[in-house]
Amino acid sequence: MCFPLTTSWRAFHQTPEIYSVELSGTKDIVKTDKGDGKEKYRGLKNNCLELKKKNHTEEFQKELHLDDHKLSNRELEKKYGTDIITGLSSTRAAELLARDGPNSLTPPKQTPEIVKFLKQMVGGFSVLLWVGAFLCWIAFGIEYSSNKSASLNNVYLGSVLVLVVIFTGIFAYYQEAKSTNIMSSFKKMIPQQALVIRDSEKKTIPSEHLVVGDIVEVKGGDQIPADIRVLSSQGCRVDNSSLTGESEPQPRSSEFTHENPLETKNICFYSTTCLEGTVTGMVINTGDRTIIGHIASLASGVGNEKTPIAIEIEHFVHIVAGVAVSIGILFFIIAVSMNYRVLDSIIFLIGIIVANVPEGLLATVTVTLSLTAKRMAKKNCLVKNLEAVETLGSTSIICSDKTGTLTQNRMTVAHLWFDNQIFVADTSENHSNQVFDQSSRTWASLSKIITLCNRAEFKPGQENVPIMKKAVIGDASETALLKFSEVILGDVMAIRKRNRKVAEIPFNSTNKFQLSIHETDDPHDKRFLMVMKGAPERILEKCNTIMINGEEHPLDESTAKAFHTAYMELGGLGERVLGFCHLYLPAHEFPETYKFDTDAMNFPTSNLCFVGLLSMIDPPRSTVPDAVTKCRSAGIKVIMVTGDHPITAKAIAKSVGIISANSETVEDIARRLSIAVEQVNKWDAKAAVVTGMELKDMSSEQVDEILANYQEIVFARTSPQQKLIIVEGCQRQDAVVAVTGDGVNDSPALKKADIGVAMGIAGSDAAKNAADMVLLDDNFASIVTGVEEGRLIFDNLKKTIAYTLTKNIAELCPFLIYIIVGLPLPIGTITILFIDLGTDIIPSIALAYEKAESDIMNRKPRHKKKDRLVNQPLAVYSYLHIGLMQALGAFLVYFTVYAQEGFLPRTLINLRVEWEKDFVNDLEDSYGQEWTRYQRAYLEWTGYTAFFVGILVQQIADLIIRKTRRNSIFQQGAFRNKVIWVGIASQIIIGLVLSYGLGSVTALSFTMLRAQYWFVAVPHAILIWVYDEVRKLFIRLYPGSWWDKNMYY
Amino acid sequence: MLSEGDILFSSLLSSRSLFWPPGLILLFYLVFYGFLAALFSFTMWVMLQTLNDEVPKYRDQIPSPGLMVFPKPVTALEYTFSRSDPTSYAGYIEDLKEFLKPYTLEEQKNLTVCPDGALFEQKGPVYVACQFPISLLQACSGMNDPDFGYSQGNPCILVKMNRIIGLKPEGVPRIDCVSKNEDIPNVAVYPHNGMIDLKYFPYYGKKLHVGYLQPLVAVQVSFAPNNTGKEVTVECKIDGSANLKSQDDRDKFLGRVMFKITARA
Repeated sequence: MCFPLTTSWRAFHQTPEIYSVELSGTKDIVKTDKGDGKEKYRGLKNNCLELKKKNHTEEFQKELHLDDHKLSNRELEKKYGTDIITGLSSTRAAELLARDGPNSLTPPKQTPEIVKFLKQMVGGFSVLLWVGAFLCWIAFGIEYSSNKSASLNNVYLGSVLVLVVIFTGIFAYYQEAKSTNIMSSFKKMIPQQALVIRDSEKKTIPSEHLVVGDIVEVKGGDQIPADIRVLSSQGCRVDNSSLTGESEPQPRSSEFTHENPLETKNICFYSTTCLEGTVTGMVINTGDRTIIGHIASLASGVGNEKTPIAIEIEHFVHIVAGVAVSIGILFFIIAVSMNYRVLDSIIFLIGIIVANVPEGLLATVTVTLSLTAKRMAKKNCLVKNLEAVETLGSTSIICSDKTGTLTQNRMTVAHLWFDNQIFVADTSENHSNQVFDQSSRTWASLSKIITLCNRAEFKPGQENVPIMKKAVIGDASETALLKFSEVILGDVMAIRKRNRKVAEIPFNSTNKFQLSIHETDDPHDKRFLMVMKGAPERILEKCNTIMINGEEHPLDESTAKAFHTAYMELGGLGERVLGFCHLYLPAHEFPETYKFDTDAMNFPTSNLCFVGLLSMIDPPRSTVPDAVTKCRSAGIKVIMVTGDHPITAKAIAKSVGIISANSETVEDIARRLSIAVEQVNKWDAKAAVVTGMELKDMSSEQVDEILANYQEIVFARTSPQQKLIIVEGCQRQDAVVAVTGDGVNDSPALKKADIGVAMGIAGSDAAKNAADMVLLDDNFASIVTGVEEGRLIFDNLKKTIAYTLTKNIAELCPFLIYIIVGLPLPIGTITILFIDLGTDIIPSIALAYEKAESDIMNRKPRHKKKDRLVNQPLAVYSYLHIGLMQALGAFLVYFTVYAQEGFLPRTLINLRVEWEKDFVNDLEDSYGQEWTRYQRAYLEWTGYTAFFVGILVQQIADLIIRKTRRNSIFQQGAFRNKVIWVGIASQIIIGLVLSYGLGSVTALSFTMLRAQYWFVAVPHAILIWVYDEVRKLFIRLYPGSWWDKNMYY
Repeated sequence: MLSEGDILFSSLLSSRSLFWPPGLILLFYLVFYGFLAALFSFTMWVMLQTLNDEVPKYRDQIPSPGLMVFPKPVTALEYTFSRSDPTSYAGYIEDLKEFLKPYTLEEQKNLTVCPDGALFEQKGPVYVACQFPISLLQACSGMNDPDFGYSQGNPCILVKMNRIIGLKPEGVPRIDCVSKNEDIPNVAVYPHNGMIDLKYFPYYGKKLHVGYLQPLVAVQVSFAPNNTGKEVTVECKIDGSANLKSQDDRDKFLGRVMFKITARA
């Protein structure tokens, strides 16, 4: 029979409803079996339509036979042409390998490097430059067709624009390739091995070479190398969390227990981990045909969202293009009405449009982003996509994983209960500060049980490793207990050696306890000590006395009540509680030579002495509460999404501040008022804990309602797929959503998020591929530094753009005046290029090093539709205020140079036509002197240089004022950002080199300028600075006023 | 692109911020731009105060004069005429007459007769201009031949040295003209040898040196009567003075000029 999964995969593209169950079986089964866990596989239902569009239907249509769990071993052997005892033959295996391909997940289709490279050159900004370049060439074409000796300036300009795009593209490509390389170095270098039976021999082969029908053996600690059908198992338990989000270990055996292959015990899935025991199984699916392979392929179906900064840059390009075209057309009309030839007017039009293109900005922005990316990488945020640098800054909701991100990802002893008292253990990362009372003799007994009734061991050869970092063989709880006792008691292995173990019953899910019998380390005490730990209620059942202050007391009602109170309290904290008891076996009944038989149970397991409780939790990382508080004050909502139990989730949420101390959930209110949950007005609660089960029954409106109305939300028991629903819900609120994740199953959500953050250590490759950013230390607190950097870069990009736009007007005005008033051209194209791509580059990058003006972590995240990168005040203030002042200052230098050489301003008016005639070689100046064409040209270049110096001097002032948008320079500290001064120095040095060093190179049209002309524009520069200080002063004095609204950018 | 412009326009004109309320914003820009205009005018005025009315502050960019020819070339330094067709050279004659107007005896009668062969330096406050007897140009003076030789096929071209304030030529400057075509070597220059008398230097500027006339040299090319449909390229250069350059790679008119005359049938 074909497993129902088949039908649901196929039905998937017919009814959007079905996808939710396709992994958990069919709907019919859901009805008959209300077992726990099904809801975990619901998730992507809303994504069906989207996925459908992506042409994934074909893939899902493939018949997916998964009925192997129902087959007998014999049928399996027949189906896969194998033999359980001898395995496949090598030749057969090779054939199958050739047929099916290697057993590994195909990485999501890699974009070819060349496409990646070309993509860097067609972004929003690059388009502007491309259009500019083509316009230049068109202008040259027009000129050339009417005049064969047309100036080549336009060709050069066009080529420079293209070169800028190409070089910036190469740079960006190189930057991103670099972070990709860092990422790939994280991949596990050692190929995974699998123990397989082939040709009747046990062989170790790379797991990539597994084929269906192979018989494999997996032992505790190994990853399951493929989807396997269990043939036999010894106490095998697997961690399915990467697949289902279920963090409890799941037992595995050969029995067929469930119709649903995901629920049945006799199938282990690729990429999950075998925690303990051993299992032998037959490979039934390999590579992309495994369940995890199917899920991983879903990620590629989820569209990648445009980054907020890309949207902002697009918006900026629209503004620049709008301004350029508007001014261009305006002056085209003016030129035509001034009786210029239409062809000339068109060239003017193109010239004006091109003059508006900020040539240097693309390079500046790219470098700025990569500088920040570098800074973030130092703080353990590796950015894969340069543009994602800013995204974290605009993030308004973070959907965070719990395990490993918020928590330390290791069980740790948190509380102890003995002598009727609860003690708190230190759960910080190094456990150093255990302050509870260790003088009680009860503790002595309890510590002995903890030490002895434990099978976990340190791996050898770690003498110098701090205890908390030592690798341990054993499950999470035992590891916690081992480390706990090692920290307090010292060498646990030596203690165990002194108390030789004579018998042991390991933990199993039926009896729910673990027991061992030891000789004591007291040479005079010939009794055996039996120690036991397990589920508290089970342990208590077996006891009739309780130890208090080292004395055994009969277990009466009041002590039992105390036990229950403590148990409930610890359980309520979301902690895993274990009970401990012991019994000294009477020496006369159990002499030294007594043979203990764990199968016959020839020893008592009741009437024991209860010693204490101990509770464990995966504790929050110590940096997390602070980080969550920072997010809070930064206006970022932190939502926890976990597969864990709601109580645990809530406890962790509370301890890290995701649910603040004084907020209540509906359930809390109900308990406080002693009323039913239904009677509580649900909007009275500030916090909500929503389980996957509840989530699966909600419409998207209900999800929206929850997301919008609760400040503090925890999603528990959710499947990784349900993350996608949550992310989409958040995005419907216009939020910029960051998602953290590590599992393969998280990859669709990571991709869907505005910024997906994968874990560098715990993260799967699929998750890292889908993410935009990788946290190298898996620490939530690193996200906060990312947010800070992202916000800072947004502010600083604003400054950079404002700085760059300003001089655009000073560069454009000369051309306009040249057309309208007929002055000899004040500044040439090449000179402008030397400003845009020369003197201004380092200063505009230097603004990226500017410190934040105020606490950027204390304001709300920017609204992605309202707080634009380039807003109207920024454009207006740059163009019409500072830009204009700059133009005036530069014109002053220009007029000074001409006047002092003999051409007074009034003479210059309408001189253009005569000035530019090649055969007029006796043009008269204001003093009666006559100039040849070349002498005029040289003067014109001096004018260019003068104008250049005028802009340069004022750009220094512009740079200084752009350091802040609101604060005075004095508040910000003029010297705090040293790079700014490097920028200013570079500006001056480049200017000096151009004028004095290259002044003799005709093609560059620079001349040696008299030293005093450098100072002509200084008063204007000072004026710019004073004006801006006044602007900022009024903004600070009258927040919210007309001035503030119009002048704050 | 246009639609993007529209987007911007609509967003600029949206009443949201800057253009609302219009009164206040207009007032602001009126005051702000008024202030900027005043400031710019003031700084320009200050700058103009640093200048001298009579002599420009710097003369470094014109250390040496250029040469220019008349009739004034329109697009290129090429003259085409036909002796049989007066309309073909009427424009040139017109131009030459116009150019020589200040040089007529009538115009020059108030000018001073200066001593030949030496710089005529003056201390002011009144600066006088020296006479340039147009008769020096002999056949090209236009006095005897109102057609400046065009009707005979011997066209005259005037060569002028650019005025530069304070320029004092060294040595004995002259303008040397040679034909580049071997078969028409007959190039005559007037005054004799293309001499430029030093008495016309230095020049004291338009304001002080009222009525100044710069010395001229005429070039006459003689096409043989039967020699029609010929063209000749003539190059004139300043010679005989160490501080007047006539060789510059970039400036083709610095102390020299080259022109082409085509005689059509």
